[in-house]
Amino acid sequence: MENIMKFDLALVGVSLIALIIAVGYVSPLVIAPLDDYESSDGNVLFVIEKADTLMIDDNMEFSSPDEYNIEDGLKIDLEPGEYYWKAVGVLGSEVRTLKINSVVSLELVKVKDGFGVVNSGNVGLNVEVYDGDELVDKIKLETGDVVETDGDKIVGGAE
Amino acid sequence: MRKLMFLLIGIFMISSVCALGITPARTTLDFEADLSRSVGFEILNSGNEDMKVVFSAQGELAKYISLGDTEASISASEGSKAFSYNLNLPSELIPGLHTGEVFAMQLPSGPTSEGSQILATLAVVTQVHVYVPYPGKYASSSLTIYNANQGEEVVFVFPVVSQGEFDLTAVRASVDIYNKLNEKVDSFNTDSIAVMSGARKELAYRWKADVPIGDYLAKASLIYDEGTLNLEETFSVGSEDLELREISVSGFSLGEIAKLEMLVENKWSESISGAHVATKIMNDRGDIVSSFESATYDVDALSKKVFVSYWDTAGVRVGTYETEVSINYGDKSSKKALKFDVKKNKLTIIGLGYVISEDGGESNTLMIVLISVIVLLVLINLLWFFLFRKKFKR
Repeated sequence: MENIMKFDLALVGVSLIALIIAVGYVSPLVIAPLDDYESSDGNVLFVIEKADTLMIDDNMEFSSPDEYNIEDGLKIDLEPGEYYWKAVGVLGSEVRTLKINSVVSLELVKVKDGFGVVNSGNVGLNVEVYDGDELVDKIKLETGDVVETDGDKIVGGAE
Repeated sequence: MRKLMFLLIGIFMISSVCALGITPARTTLDFEADLSRSVGFEILNSGNEDMKVVFSAQGELAKYISLGDTEASISASEGSKAFSYNLNLPSELIPGLHTGEVFAMQLPSGPTSEGSQILATLAVVTQVHVYVPYPGKYASSSLTIYNANQGEEVVFVFPVVSQGEFDLTAVRASVDIYNKLNEKVDSFNTDSIAVMSGARKELAYRWKADVPIGDYLAKASLIYDEGTLNLEETFSVGSEDLELREISVSGFSLGEIAKLEMLVENKWSESISGAHVATKIMNDRGDIVSSFESATYDVDALSKKVFVSYWDTAGVRVGTYETEVSINYGDKSSKKALKFDVKKNKLTIIGLGYVISEDGGESNTLMIVLISVIVLLVLINLLWFFLFRKKFKR
């Protein structure tokens, strides 16, 4: 009788090990980005295995998540802000956070007859153009937009 | 000669990029009486030039901002450089939003002779926003609606910010939906949520769009402990959608130009103009072996139209090819994955009307069943083990 009990105990142990292995096998393997990832580049590469869907939201409850099918080399363009994300397959992964820093950036470039100003940051800008101390123009400049200008001082701040 | 040199230097300077950046664009804080806090920011030298930058504070909060440095030098080798300013808030500010700005202005550096002078100065701004809570309970919100197709779920999202001194204990929304004739077609109430003072939470509701395709208006009342906010937003049921229904090919002969007639349905209640079909045919490795586009067509509301494409099959071998057919209109694109089975005198299109893509659902279900069975077996075994041991002891 004792042998039966020993055998049964061993069986339970093996079953538990099998269960742990099975759960481990189907848990999403989240490789990148790391938790608390922070960058000024909004183009984020997600490397995830054993999951079907990537969910990204700006709140931990994932009340209105953006959902993406997971594929190799999945890159997503994110606006500046703080995000919560997780991978979902048979089981869900841990919730990780990432932050895209907002950047205000202006570039002066040569255009046809003069020069232009480019919004090279990642947020829309209110740009003020001064000639001396006089404000001569106010422009809204979206990311990547270029506008020709002839002021001598150009000031850019987030919208 | 000297004049020409200045001119060349001048052209070189104008052609080169002059750049200045700052991060973050904005720092947001909740008001605390007599708060003293160091706020960090970085100057980005994306042009990789030696430069001098001067800092100044402006705006309503300028008097509470003290700058650590008023001028700084950044060398060409420094991609960015960190700075900070101190924000020393008073004991009181009136409720609402208060703003301030720190300006970073690039000074011309190096020789400033006529020919080499940079023609404009750049300045960038990092903002500071301080929110002072309103007395009592106060909520602010907006309404965002995510469109869906007919029969699917339209998602209504109310991001609620509790801007009062006290927590909001119950925030809910009551929504009425109207069609274009201003007739109420449905109503619903969301669940109630609590939002702590200074926190932001989302109130979300999934509404099944069992209504005809078209545009709708949602009139929402966001009801919280001590007040109501009225919000309105339009949304669409059944996206502006063109769908590929059929592809027919007659008289196909490998090596010649094939005429593909693609039947496209406009499921939208308005006509769609300037649409065209782009087809990409790929080999086993996913490389595009052939691609072609149709002319542009206008498709009337809720009607079908044949888009004609021509495929030059010269050099194409017999076989089965993964094919992506995309219908492009405006800034939208509707894609369909098909397979082209190419034979010498026959082209068979596989995949219209059903999904070709491999579905991992079956294996997932199998794994769930497997885990459930293991759990069940372990539990039964444990139960049996303990019962048996009890009996054995007696």
